[in-house]
Amino acid sequence: MLELTLQSLFSGVLSGAYYALIALGLALVFGTMRVINLAHGELVLLGAYISYTAEEKLGLDPLASLPLALAVVVATAMVVYYLVSMIKKDRELNSLILTFGIGVILTNAVLMIWSADIHSATTPWYHDATILFDTLFAMQAELVFAALGIILVGAVWWWLEKSWYGRALRAVASNRDAAKLMGVNPQLTEVLSFAVSGLLATVAGVAIYTAKVIQPAMGHHLTVKAFIITVLAGMGSVPGVLLGAVLLGIVESLTVTMASSALQELAGMVLFLVVLLLMPSGLFGRAKRRG
Amino acid sequence: MLLELDGITVAFGGLIAVGDVTFSMAEGDVLGLVGPNGAGKTTLFNAVSGLVRPTRGKARFLGRDLVAMPIHTRARAGIGRAFQVPQPMHELTVRENLMVASRFATGRIDKQRIEEILDLLKLGHKADSDAATSLALTEQKALEVGKALATNPKLLMLDEVLAGLETAGKRAFMHTLSEVRQRYGLALLIIEHDIETITRLCPRVVVLNFGRLIAEGSPENVFNDPEVIRSYTGGEAA
Amino acid sequence: MSNVIKIAAFLAFSYIAVPLAVGSNAYVIGLIVAALTIGGIAVAWALLGNLGGMVSFGHAAFFGVGAYVSALLTLRGGWPVFPAMLVAGLGAAVASVATMPALRLRGPYFALAILAYAEIFRILATEMKPVTGGAAGLLSIPRLPTVLGLDFGSKLGGYFVILTIVVAAMAVYHLIRRSAYGLALKAMHDSEDATRVVGVNSTVLKAWMLVVSAFITGMVGAFNAHYINFLEPDYAFAGQWTTLAIVSAIFGGYRTVTGPLVGAVVVYLVDQLAFKPILPQGHQIVLGVLLGAMILFSPGGLMPLLMAKLSRKEGPAHAA
Repeated sequence: MLELTLQSLFSGVLSGAYYALIALGLALVFGTMRVINLAHGELVLLGAYISYTAEEKLGLDPLASLPLALAVVVATAMVVYYLVSMIKKDRELNSLILTFGIGVILTNAVLMIWSADIHSATTPWYHDATILFDTLFAMQAELVFAALGIILVGAVWWWLEKSWYGRALRAVASNRDAAKLMGVNPQLTEVLSFAVSGLLATVAGVAIYTAKVIQPAMGHHLTVKAFIITVLAGMGSVPGVLLGAVLLGIVESLTVTMASSALQELAGMVLFLVVLLLMPSGLFGRAKRRG
Repeated sequence: MLLELDGITVAFGGLIAVGDVTFSMAEGDVLGLVGPNGAGKTTLFNAVSGLVRPTRGKARFLGRDLVAMPIHTRARAGIGRAFQVPQPMHELTVRENLMVASRFATGRIDKQRIEEILDLLKLGHKADSDAATSLALTEQKALEVGKALATNPKLLMLDEVLAGLETAGKRAFMHTLSEVRQRYGLALLIIEHDIETITRLCPRVVVLNFGRLIAEGSPENVFNDPEVIRSYTGGEAA
Repeated sequence: MSNVIKIAAFLAFSYIAVPLAVGSNAYVIGLIVAALTIGGIAVAWALLGNLGGMVSFGHAAFFGVGAYVSALLTLRGGWPVFPAMLVAGLGAAVASVATMPALRLRGPYFALAILAYAEIFRILATEMKPVTGGAAGLLSIPRLPTVLGLDFGSKLGGYFVILTIVVAAMAVYHLIRRSAYGLALKAMHDSEDATRVVGVNSTVLKAWMLVVSAFITGMVGAFNAHYINFLEPDYAFAGQWTTLAIVSAIFGGYRTVTGPLVGAVVVYLVDQLAFKPILPQGHQIVLGVLLGAMILFSPGGLMPLLMAKLSRKEGPAHAA
């Protein structure tokens, strides 16, 4: 029983690092522009499918396909940004509906281009199992991308906290006009945050392609997951995204082990609602003062 | 007793906006609430109308416990409030503003009363035309009072409704207020900076400084109180 | 044209002209019924969005709950169909009470919280096998009955039922909008506190809009269950119901009473008749494009835009 629980926790942590990759892009854009990009999951999906095409048609190892995937996904993210920036009134809500529509477009585009078949990486190395500490089992792909996930989260956190661009981003997030007065170009920082979001989405997409399976309907699903984690994390907290993602991963994993795999999604949703209703500013977010 | 405040304290973290304020009002009273900027007058209003919850203290309105009462229930119980910065219901016409207030605070749309209010506040000609946002400042302030009146209040709380008006406008408004009071037999709780207005309108005045009640009495007594004078002109902190 | 004449014309058209014209064509009627089903959800969605001020991404939740409640009452409980449908609406309304804590949340959070509820209901429906038949779903759900000699179980009969539900929904939307409640709701968008201070219990009012919206959607879901006689979780709680309703409502103009219905008919029929043949897989891409275009260029919807253009041609502008 203990072994099972440990394995469950371990798998949960690995999934969590994965999820963090998926969620971070969404959280970043949400944090800087107060825009929830409901097409984010589709960006991840796009990254995955480019990776698939590179492997199928060009025989490229998925990791090697990253540059190509990056180009496509980041370009798409730029288009999304451009469209969102065209919204004049009620940005919060209208961008929600707009990106929802963009998500529908992307999902259907993927469906049309690649058909509804399920795919997964064929390069064998990724699916090989590794055993850690003699008891914990994981796929090599899972390990690689979990590690990448943690590294990227750390990198983004460092970037936001320490670098000039990162500070500018945070300045714009908290007070756009004041930031402008200090010489920060809000548009540039917003473009930047969307671009980084696209980068993160690409890596997440490749990760999913290698370690799991992909199909067009997933886009929506991924967005919802990313949003759940963003809510868990609370606004403005990058470490929170990792912790929230790991929490979700563990909750799901434990549910699968102790109850049934069908209830996995349910557990995530319930966790989401509980946090949303009881702790609206998330587990780690900055609490808002009641006026 | 209409309104009884007992030790009302509103603290935001370490900042005490209203500290241990105690006073009462009987039905029909006219009470002035004065004090320098930031003294906590508006916060006290917020506590009475329900937009802010007191950290400590008791309050009763017509014998009912006020602290736990939701905002809309207070309005229905008879507490009417005109905000300092007018908050009209923008997309509605003047008449519709009054209709909503009347309908929800009293349970029915009192058409006659609405006409009276429009008449008293000289808003009749603008009643059904454009949305409330197109009104001039004086008219918006009048509408603000009108909304509160339409709720059929027993206590009308006015937060600096004269601010921004020039002398003639002030006189006219003051006259209207007296009419209103006489017509409906209301109690008035008035925040004003203009000492002349307060002296004319209010037989009784309470003074707040740094959230605390430092004087209470007739205008002559209060405005000649050295501590009150000090609070307005600076001098040592409370 | 006065409003009464417009309404009479509309009723005459839908209750008399349409059946006479295409009543015998099962395929066309089937399409129209589907469009009306979406229209019903769209009206309910618009009511919540416009009056309640809340955008929901999970209306499929209420649709599915209504469908299952009615199906189970008739299939397992032997209830007659029409009363079951009413109770199904109530069931969806009760389900909406479970979502009420989400009313405290700001716009986007509410929209997605409802989505989470939809997912939860779907999973519950899939897992509670003994009750709901699980993933396999429910078969042979009773058809709409014959009442007073009129067979509502036929395709045309179903048309009348859904038409009536949608017309009733629009009537409700209209009546609320016109009433003092409608005024208060409109004012609440500006500032809830300003309305509270004059006695409006804004929380309860918003909650009522949610309940009404859920009730309508639940009845539409129940209708659908008896119309196609089959139900399964992935279908009943499919995101499609929400997506199509949102596109229809926004396209047609969700701030108007007739907009959502017109939007639904146009969007659905065009999608099915024009785009599906061309792009069998992925024709819904058009919906996404429509939605995006609407939000960017005419958030009020296409219909109001057209109406405005038409009235400008007719003569001097009149009040909107």
